[in-house]
Amino acid sequence: MAAEPNTILIRYGELFLKGNNRYYFESLLIKNIKAALFGIRFKFVKSQSRFFVEDFDPADKNLILSRLTKVFGIHSLSPAVKIRTDLKKIGEIASMMAPEQGTFRVTVRRADKKIPKKSMEIAAEIGGDMLERVPARKVDLFRYDFELCVDIREDGWSYVFYEVIPGAQGLPSGCSGRAMLLLSGGIDSPVAAYKMGRRGVTVCCVHFHSFPYTSELALRKVVDLTEMLRPYVPFIELTVVPFTKIQYAIHEHCPQEFMITIMRRFMMRIAERLAQDKKCGALITGESLGQVASQTMESINATNSVVKMPVFRPLIGNDKEEIIEIAKKIGTFDISIRPYEDCCTVFLPKNPVIHPKLSEVERYESKLDIEALIAEAIAGAEVRSAAFPAE
Amino acid sequence: MIYFDNAATTRCSQETIDTLIRYADRQYFNPSSVYHEAVEVKIELDAARNRILKAAGGGEGKIIFTSGGTESDNLAVFGTRKPNKSKVIVSAAEHAAIYNSAMELKRRGFEVCLCPVDGCGRVDEDAFRMLLDETVSFVSIIHVNNETGAINDIRKLCALTKAANPSAIFHSDGVQALGKIPVNLTDSGVDLYSLSAHKLNAPKGCGALYVRKGVHLNPIVYGGGQEEGLRSSTENVGAIIAFSDMVSYYTANRIPLSTNMSAIKQIIKRFLSEAEGIRFLTGEPSSDYILTFASDKLRGEVTLHALNREGILVGTGSACSSAKASRRIAEVLGLKGKYVDGIVRLSFGRYNTQEEALAFCAAYKKIYEELSRYGS
Repeated sequence: MAAEPNTILIRYGELFLKGNNRYYFESLLIKNIKAALFGIRFKFVKSQSRFFVEDFDPADKNLILSRLTKVFGIHSLSPAVKIRTDLKKIGEIASMMAPEQGTFRVTVRRADKKIPKKSMEIAAEIGGDMLERVPARKVDLFRYDFELCVDIREDGWSYVFYEVIPGAQGLPSGCSGRAMLLLSGGIDSPVAAYKMGRRGVTVCCVHFHSFPYTSELALRKVVDLTEMLRPYVPFIELTVVPFTKIQYAIHEHCPQEFMITIMRRFMMRIAERLAQDKKCGALITGESLGQVASQTMESINATNSVVKMPVFRPLIGNDKEEIIEIAKKIGTFDISIRPYEDCCTVFLPKNPVIHPKLSEVERYESKLDIEALIAEAIAGAEVRSAAFPAE
Repeated sequence: MIYFDNAATTRCSQETIDTLIRYADRQYFNPSSVYHEAVEVKIELDAARNRILKAAGGGEGKIIFTSGGTESDNLAVFGTRKPNKSKVIVSAAEHAAIYNSAMELKRRGFEVCLCPVDGCGRVDEDAFRMLLDETVSFVSIIHVNNETGAINDIRKLCALTKAANPSAIFHSDGVQALGKIPVNLTDSGVDLYSLSAHKLNAPKGCGALYVRKGVHLNPIVYGGGQEEGLRSSTENVGAIIAFSDMVSYYTANRIPLSTNMSAIKQIIKRFLSEAEGIRFLTGEPSSDYILTFASDKLRGEVTLHALNREGILVGTGSACSSAKASRRIAEVLGLKGKYVDGIVRLSFGRYNTQEEALAFCAAYKKIYEELSRYGS
């Protein structure tokens, strides 16, 4: 008899904390799990406080696991063997699937009270069987290398597993609403998307491009970043907005050292307008305090003051190294370092103002027809990476 | 669309496409097999080999088919015997296939010297002479520089090399040369010469290395022993036949083609001469197929994208993906300041017309007026 896992057991974490909203959180998580497994054949089974993915092609097992470990809201996963309840067979399977050496314990949960033996007795029997078959294993109930678990369900089926793979934790994507991320193509903003995604936010991204100063490849880069984030935020989407005319206008009418501050104020305004269209409740930026001239307290104040929506800055207190570490973990780092110019490096002044005074910024900006420039940019906005077809 | 990036690659001719289909569909036999149909393919393969050899004036030498110019260069650099730690000279403006192979030789302990070039990418012959001595074992000088179109006098440089050390091997990368400028390999005396199909309206993934009679090579690819054991792998027959047909076409029509390219080049050169802040990197003697310039007003990459929007495709020395290579070339050409990022390469091909040259001038004028206001 094969002991190849034919089921993935999914445990979810923080959802328990949500009391009456539990059904809502569960249904979101189910939707996200199904989106994560888009394109794979499987059967989804919901059971009390656990989910099961079953009936998949054994060749897809690792792919399923790798996708599920990125779904926020999942606490842990276990590849399990699901069999008709039969204590003798369970012992056999347990012995076959468990490691051949090391200390172990057997834990049995017996929901099916029709079975006369108690959980402890069954565990002892299975443990004995495992020792008999592979004597190199040793039992240690407290300091064990692996815990062989057997769930005996009321429906006549049992699950045998020992491996526990940590999930992505966090909250199911979407449970905290939607927010608009300013995605530059650098290292930080994708990490900001990941961090807010982990708190249940569905991230909509906006990217500003400055053709012909930035290239088709720079656009490709942000599309790739969006797709790299999709396993974490399944319904992520990307809108790109042409920005060259705004840069021309600022370049012509405002002092060079204020270029970036004023540019960013335009970006925030446009992001907020798009956010309202897309029913987002907040903006997200990848700013980290003091990292560059545009991320000083005064600069952030100058850019923040043009919007009313809350602005989430999940990386504000992070060092670059910490951000890079996460970017590497989620796979966006290698894309972010592709050497294409983004719109922020075009027209870069030699000495950008580090502590801009709001009154000065507003005075310079008043020379521009802000509304017309914004309207034209938004009219040129294009959706480049849309949400999953499953939505 | 106006395609002015023919030094990067060219569109396959209809003849090439027909040939590729024929060899994929009907004459697909492995030339190493021994039944009649395969033997016929083998005969055609060898006929193609002879056509290319003849077109290049290769005399008693031989043609080894490879996967392209880069592999031919690698076979030349790594397939030749050289005494340990001996001197290797390559021009500072070589294509990356030679430059990076030479850097690998350096890592392996050879004394690698980069011969300086002038502002147009042509080897400085006095500096070359100074580098030569009896310890030189291998020299590689590009025939037509792929960045600027500069033509090196490989006959003279080869003779100087042999005078310093008669057993030194002289290689030249002729990828941008054959069919586009006069090439006579016997007369020039070179030992090895790299060729590529896709610069001549034939497909990518096919090239050749000319080997002068008596020059010994070791393979760098091992296997079934094709190409006299120097390049194992089943021959890419359709591509090779198309390659040889295109070599024949280009050499037979070299003068009329060159006349047209030269007219295109002159139209654009005259126009750009009147623009502000333009420095020509293509000087004389140069290939009629290439015109490279640098601007201190518009960055090359920005020009490329803006022209792209106008439906004109050009090359740049400053595409970010090749930033390292282009920086090296800008540096060896002695470019300073904003010119370093302002390189644009126009390279012409058999399908280009003088009307397209005029259209280019109009488009360039338009984008120049827009972009130079903001200084890119």
